[in-house]
Amino acid sequence: MIAHSIFFYTFAFVAIVAAIMVTVSKNTVHSVFFLILDFISVSCLFIMIGAEFLGMMMLIVYVGAVAVLFLFVVMMLNVAQQNNPLINSAEDFSHIPVGLIISLIIFFELIIVIGGWKFKPDLVTSVSLLVDQNVTNTHSIGSVLYTDYIHVFQLSGMILLVAMIGAIVLTFRYRPGLKRQSYFDQISRERVDAVQLIDAESNKGVKIDD
Amino acid sequence: MIDIGLGHYLTLSAIIFTIGIVGIFLNRKNVIVILMSIELILLAVNINFVSFSIFLNDLTGQIFALFILTVAAAEAAIGLAIIVVYYRNSGTIRVEEIDKLKG
Amino acid sequence: MELTLLFLPLLASIISGFFGKYIGDRNSEIVTSLFVSISSILSLFIFYNVISEGYENNVVIASWINSGSLNVNWSIKIDALSSVMLVVVTLISSLVHIYSIGYMSHDPHKPRFMAYLSLFTFAMLTLVTSDNFLQLFFGWEGVGLCSYFLIGFWFKKDSANAAAIKAFIVNRVGDFGFALGIFLIFYLFGTVNYNEVFLLIPKTLDQDIYFLGINLKSIDLICILLFMGAMGKSAQFLLHTWLPDAMEGPIPVSALIHAATMVTAGVFLVVRCSPIFEYSQIALNIICIVGMTTAFFAATVALVQNDIKKIIAYSTCSQLGYMFFAAGIGAYNVAIFHLFTHAFFKALLFLGAGSVIHSLNNEQDIRKMGGIWRKLPYSWGLMIIGTLALTGFPFFSGFYSKEAIIEFAYLKGNTLGYYVVVIGIFTALLTAIYSWRLVFKTFHGTYENKELKINSIHESPYVMLVPLIVLAIGSIFAGFFFKELFIGQYASNNFWSDSIKFLSPISTDHPPLWIVYFTPVIVVLSIPIAYYLFVKNKDITNWLVNENKPLYNFLINKWYFDELYEYLFVRTFKRIGIFFWKNIDLKTIDRFGPDGISNLIKKLSIRAVKFQSGYIYQYAFIMLLGFSALLTYLIII
Repeated sequence: MIAHSIFFYTFAFVAIVAAIMVTVSKNTVHSVFFLILDFISVSCLFIMIGAEFLGMMMLIVYVGAVAVLFLFVVMMLNVAQQNNPLINSAEDFSHIPVGLIISLIIFFELIIVIGGWKFKPDLVTSVSLLVDQNVTNTHSIGSVLYTDYIHVFQLSGMILLVAMIGAIVLTFRYRPGLKRQSYFDQISRERVDAVQLIDAESNKGVKIDD
Repeated sequence: MIDIGLGHYLTLSAIIFTIGIVGIFLNRKNVIVILMSIELILLAVNINFVSFSIFLNDLTGQIFALFILTVAAAEAAIGLAIIVVYYRNSGTIRVEEIDKLKG
Repeated sequence: MELTLLFLPLLASIISGFFGKYIGDRNSEIVTSLFVSISSILSLFIFYNVISEGYENNVVIASWINSGSLNVNWSIKIDALSSVMLVVVTLISSLVHIYSIGYMSHDPHKPRFMAYLSLFTFAMLTLVTSDNFLQLFFGWEGVGLCSYFLIGFWFKKDSANAAAIKAFIVNRVGDFGFALGIFLIFYLFGTVNYNEVFLLIPKTLDQDIYFLGINLKSIDLICILLFMGAMGKSAQFLLHTWLPDAMEGPIPVSALIHAATMVTAGVFLVVRCSPIFEYSQIALNIICIVGMTTAFFAATVALVQNDIKKIIAYSTCSQLGYMFFAAGIGAYNVAIFHLFTHAFFKALLFLGAGSVIHSLNNEQDIRKMGGIWRKLPYSWGLMIIGTLALTGFPFFSGFYSKEAIIEFAYLKGNTLGYYVVVIGIFTALLTAIYSWRLVFKTFHGTYENKELKINSIHESPYVMLVPLIVLAIGSIFAGFFFKELFIGQYASNNFWSDSIKFLSPISTDHPPLWIVYFTPVIVVLSIPIAYYLFVKNKDITNWLVNENKPLYNFLINKWYFDELYEYLFVRTFKRIGIFFWKNIDLKTIDRFGPDGISNLIKKLSIRAVKFQSGYIYQYAFIMLLGFSALLTYLIII
């Protein structure tokens, strides 16, 4: 139990500090690194608590794909050169207190849930997906995902497809002058346009008109 | 304090959620930080779902967290694509200089 | 046929007014003149029907108002009175159209002019063919409007604009009384159709009505109010100030509107409402007195005027006074007869004067004319014919109608009748003197014009002379031929039948011979007297003027009426108008209405715009605020 709590507090502390540093740090690349640290610590938390499939998923997807994407963009847009000193004398800080107060209000409202929260009396019986303790987490997720939640699964695939197409559509730039193949034109060429039979006299060239 | 229960995880989730929200409007640096704050928010929600799922022995939470993961990835991709295009058109992604919606 | 008659002028006006640009000047002139001429031929045809077989008709075109007990139709009522008026209006109008082709040949706005003339004809026709007071009022206002258009035709001249407004406003004063009269009729009888009202009149003879603190008989009040309208439209004594200024318009306008048609609408109204007027002796007396005063007043002023058009205008005013006092003594048919003959010779005089003006390069002052009778023989001859008819020279048309008025006045027998006779004869003398003064100063004597060489004056083109010749024929023969029909022994039974009401039958006596011969003798004698005074020996007139300077000034300033009205009314109303405009319109209504509300909205929107700063994080912050408020609400409640 103690190990559990030590691990929990460590990971939690790291996550919170990293989250704060994401918003506060001067260098944007550092922000991305802190975001990666955040993801890793939360993923460790998941593994510790018993949802190891999800933890691994988070590592692979979030850290491996999303955060790397962030890094790509950060480096592509020269954001690193646009960093400012943390305390800029010309900058206006009047918005910070109000924002902090509002966020504190929200935080406390979220916490109130824990204090005034009661279990539903028949919560145990209303569990929809009972975990079979003898099966690994991955196995149990797999046995549900492709059967009960197959529609949602396919739909999420569609979402990803749409996102991919959308990203390409948004950022595509047509570069004139690039040599490209248009296979439609290639296939739809008629013999009549392509081949021309000419009687050529010997020792005289053939005039080819384009 | 020693005994870690559901409440601790929920508190953690609330803290990260709040930090993410604060990051959206309290930063004056650039737009990418806003996107990262959104990722933080989604992360906090994920923690919430998973902790509920583990403590109630209900797999639904984890399944849904998986889908949130998917959606977050898709949204991050599109958001970054938009930022790239916007940067191409206006040359800056500093938050104070993005005021084209000014009425 | 009646429909064609009524709507052809309207059609012509629309074609010429809206499409004049596309069809060209000459075509619009031809279209309007042709259509109105067709109308005049049709009106002659209808007139013939009325004479020969007593044709009467009431063609209902459409129902106008059908609300409760008020049922008013658009209709064309043909009876003896309206058929006479139809002939007068359409004939004179078509001749004026043809004349205008020549007179306005230098004007760049010919289609507009023709369109206004035709529109006026249409409105006048609507007026005379109505079978109810409301359509009459519609035509009344219509002719007032067209008069405004036509007087102010040369709208680039300030004086023309001012004259047009003056005419409209003075007419308005009369129309106010007229409208009150119509309201009173509706209030008392519940209907505004002629036949119904006329049937109900005898039953309400004893009714009293309390008006402005006085207890009056309702019949008297109705008649006085209706007569107020007639006073305004026909330029009678107190509401006459617009007529001389209306000469700012082109001559054809003066001939059509201010000689033959619009100003006779008042007479028409009184005669048409003869069933009402017959029962109100007070009103008839008032009409008589006003008519007499007008005739006398206008004749005195015309004696000293120097503008050719103004002399003829005052002459019109005076002759209208004659018509009114003929109506006032109960001789309605004589009034219409005088209207009929007067239309011919007054239009002839105006158009002839227009011919002279046209030849003299728009010179209108008779002191700058003289001795041009050899150069303009036709105009000279035609003006002489017109003047002979106007003064009542024996056997010309004016003679019969004027004589008839004086005779009937004498036969009436009461003191008012005798006054009328005296003033009528004196005014006839004055009429003769100023008319011949006009002719002699214009055509005889020495040529006084400094700017124009006498050799460059030439006669007017035929298109202007032919209408004059037609009018001259009418001036000579209209009186003789129609005398029996209009005012003869059996006229009241056969011709007029129901259109005019005579409470007591027309007297068939003859006045003593000395009355009959007195006026013609004076008139004939006035010719050599006028010749002597104005051509041969101008010293006498100069001596008269110098000795009586105050009287001369009084007359030449039109009895100082314009100044009096300016002092009494115009200044006050102008100040009231300015007060209303500045304080109420600008400061109050505009401040709270358009300016106030729009300013408020502007200020609010400027403040609201600040919400849209363009910074996304501010939008997100606002969203967050809303979210936290919602959350708080949900948690607390």
